[in-house]
Amino acid sequence: MSAFARVTRRSLLRGGAVMLGSAAAAPLLSACGGGGQGGNPKELTFWNFYGPNPQPDAQSKWFTDLAAQWNANNEVKVKLHYMPVTEYLAGRALQTAFSAGEGPDIFLLSPGDFLRYHNGGVLTDLTPYLGPDQIADFADGALDTRKVDGKVYGLPMEREPLAVFYSVDAFEQAKLSEGDLPKTWDQLLDVAGKLTSKDRFGLLFETIPGYYQNFTWYPFMWMAGGSAVPENGGPGFDSPAVHSALKLWQDGITAKVCPRKPQGDGGTDTPANLGAGFAAMQQTGIWGVSQLAQNNAQNNKDFRYGVFPLPVPEGGTYTTSVGGWAFVANAKGANPEAAAKFIAWALGANDAEGVERGRRWNTVVKANLPARTSVQEAAKSAGAFDDPALKVFLDKVVPGSRGEPRYTPEVYKAVSDAIQATQLGGADPAKAAADAAAKIDTFLKGYKGAAML
Amino acid sequence: MATVADSGTAVRRPSGAAPPPVWNRRRREALAGYAFVAPDLLGLMMFVGLPMVLAIGVSLFNADGFGGYTYVGLDNFRQMAGDTQLWQSVRVTVTYTAAFVPIGFVVSLGLALLVRDHFPGVGLVRTLFFVPHVISLVVVGIAWQFLLVDKQGAVPTLLRPVGLGDTSFLGDPSLALGSLVAISIWFLMGYNMLILLGGLKDIPKEYEEAAAIDGAGAWQNFRHVIWPLLRPTSFFVLVNSVVGSVTGLQAFDLVYVLTQGGPAGSTSSVVFYIYQQAFTFNDHGYAAALTTVVVGFLVAATATMFGLTKGGRFDAG
Repeated sequence: MSAFARVTRRSLLRGGAVMLGSAAAAPLLSACGGGGQGGNPKELTFWNFYGPNPQPDAQSKWFTDLAAQWNANNEVKVKLHYMPVTEYLAGRALQTAFSAGEGPDIFLLSPGDFLRYHNGGVLTDLTPYLGPDQIADFADGALDTRKVDGKVYGLPMEREPLAVFYSVDAFEQAKLSEGDLPKTWDQLLDVAGKLTSKDRFGLLFETIPGYYQNFTWYPFMWMAGGSAVPENGGPGFDSPAVHSALKLWQDGITAKVCPRKPQGDGGTDTPANLGAGFAAMQQTGIWGVSQLAQNNAQNNKDFRYGVFPLPVPEGGTYTTSVGGWAFVANAKGANPEAAAKFIAWALGANDAEGVERGRRWNTVVKANLPARTSVQEAAKSAGAFDDPALKVFLDKVVPGSRGEPRYTPEVYKAVSDAIQATQLGGADPAKAAADAAAKIDTFLKGYKGAAML
Repeated sequence: MATVADSGTAVRRPSGAAPPPVWNRRRREALAGYAFVAPDLLGLMMFVGLPMVLAIGVSLFNADGFGGYTYVGLDNFRQMAGDTQLWQSVRVTVTYTAAFVPIGFVVSLGLALLVRDHFPGVGLVRTLFFVPHVISLVVVGIAWQFLLVDKQGAVPTLLRPVGLGDTSFLGDPSLALGSLVAISIWFLMGYNMLILLGGLKDIPKEYEEAAAIDGAGAWQNFRHVIWPLLRPTSFFVLVNSVVGSVTGLQAFDLVYVLTQGGPAGSTSSVVFYIYQQAFTFNDHGYAAALTTVVVGFLVAATATMFGLTKGGRFDAG
C-alpha cells in the first residue's frame, strides 16, 4: 500500500500535533539557556538609529566614520546595524532580540530604560576600561543615572536639556515682547491664553503617553518640590507638589490653550508644531535647534524662534530634565570586553582625536550640549554656542538641571497613568496621585534592583 | 483465476472481477484535498499553531525578557483577577466590539445592497469602497491623524462653522474610542461589502421575482427572502468582525499609531495591553498567559456561535 494512501484526516492531525509539539519544545528549551554568546567574538554588532541610514545624513556619516576608524585599527570589528528611530524606541526589535538571547553587542540606551536592562543583567561594567581622568571629564551629573554602586554602565553621547521654544512672529502678532516671556507657571498659562487663536494653541505640552511624556513632566514635579519615589525621607508621589504639577498640565487643557493631540511626532517634533504655527510655545529639547534649522533650510523658510527656561512655580526652585542617549555593552554578548573597549574609545577617549569626535557629534552634526567638559570647552572655543538659542541653553537652561531619572517600568507606568488621567481624563490630581502612589509603594516593597534616581 | 499471497495462501476471487483499485476516486479526491490545504495548513501550523503552543508554555514561566525563565505554574493566570488595568482594557475592547461589529455590519450590508445591481460606473464605485482596505493600516492611521488633528485638521476645520472646530477627536477620552471605531469601519467596510456582495449574488433572482409577483415590497423582499438566504454569509462576516475587533490588526495597529492607548487609557485595548506587558514591562510570562486566555475565549465564543447557529445556517436539520 502506498504511503499516501495511508494518510487519513486523523493521522494527519496526529502527525501535525507531534510536529507542533516537537517544534515548540526546541525553541522553548533553547530559550531557557539564554545568553548571546553564540555570536561572532570577532565582529561586534552595534544597533543604533543613526547609521548607516539609507538616506545618508551627517549623523549617519559620523557613525559610519566611527566604525570605519575603529575597524581600521582593531582586530575585533564593529558592524553597524541601523533601524529607524520609531522602531528602536518602540522597543520590539531590541526586546525581541534580547528575549531570544540574540541581543546586540553594543546598543543605545536612554536613562528612562536603564534599569530595565541593568536589572536584567545585560549591561557590562565599563569602569575597568576607563581611566579616572576619563570618568572625571564627564560633566556634573552626566554619569549619575548610568552608574550603579560606583560602576559605570553606559557612556552618554550628549546632554539634551528641556526648555520652552517660542515663535517670535506669534509673540509679535499677540503684541507681546521678550519682556513678556513667562517666568512663573501662572504667567505661562496667561501668556499661552494670549497666544491662542482659532487655528493656533498657545502652548504645547506632550500628550502622548509614554517615557517621553514623563520625561517632560518631571521638571514641573521637581520644581514644585515633589518626587516620583520617596527621596531623602520625602513623601513620595502623593504630595501637594505633585498635585500642583499635575494640575498645571490639566489647567492648560481645560483652559483650551494646550492641544489634546499634537501634530506629527508630538512634543519632540518642533517643525510640525511650533514651526507649522500649530503652537506658539512648545516645551521640547535642545534637538529642536537643529530640527528648526534643517526645516528652514529644506523649506527655504526663515522661521524666527527663541528659547527660555521652564517657568517656576511660586516659591519653587528652577530645574529642568536633561536627557541623552548612551552607548552600552551587552554583558551576555559574544565579546563584552571588546564592546566595552570600543565604547571607552568612541566616547571616552580624551586625546585630541577623541575630543574632536565628541565636538563634531554634539555641535556640528547635532545640536546638543556635550556630556564631557573637555568637549564642551573645545566646542566653546570653536564658537558653537554663538547661536542665540544654544547660548540660552548653555547659560540659562542647564545650570540647576537634573539628569533624566531612571525608574523601573512599573514606576514609570504609574506616573504616566496619573499624568494621563489628570491632563486628558479630567481626574482630580490628588486622587490620581494617591492612586499612583499606592501602586508605586506596593511595587517598591518588593523591589530588589538598582537604586532609582 | 487465483492469486497467491506472499504467505503462499491461495486467495480466490470471483472469475472476471477487476482487482481492487488502490487509487479509487474517493482516495484520489481526498489526496487532492489535502494537497490543496497543505500550504495553508503548514502556514497555520508555523505561524499560528506553533506560537499558540509556545505561548501556553511560556505562560507557565516568569520570563523576564533577558533569557531568564522561572517556573511559576498558574501564577500568571491568577494575577489577572486583581489586575484592574486589564479589566479596564477588557471594557475598552468590549465597548469597541459592541460598536464596531453591528455598525460595521450594517454599513457593509448597505454598501453591498447599493452596488449589488448593475448601473453605470458600478465597478468604479465598488473599487472606491474597497480601496481603503488595500492601504496599510499604519498609513491609514497616519492619514487620519492628519485629518483629525486639533484645530488645523480637515475634519475640525469643516466642523468649525457648526461650533465643533475645537473638538479633539483623538485627544478627548470620550471621543477617541468612537473615532477608532469610525476609522476601523471605514477601513473594513469595503472588504465586508465584497463578501456580502458574494452572498447576495448567490441568491437566485427567481426568488425575488416570485416574491414581487406575490406583492412583496422592498422591505418584505429583504426581510423574507434576502436576509434568510444571506445568513451564512452574514454569520461569517460577524464572526470575522468579532475576532478582528479583539485581536485583529485594527485593534492594535490603529491604537499604536493613533493614540498609544491614550488619552487616559481610553483606547488601551486588550491586545495593546498585552503588548505593553511584553515590551514595556518585560513580563513575557504574563503576556503569554493573557494571550492564551484571549485565544481560548475567542475559540470558545466562536465554537458556541457555530453551535447555536448550526454554522450560520440556523435552520439546517
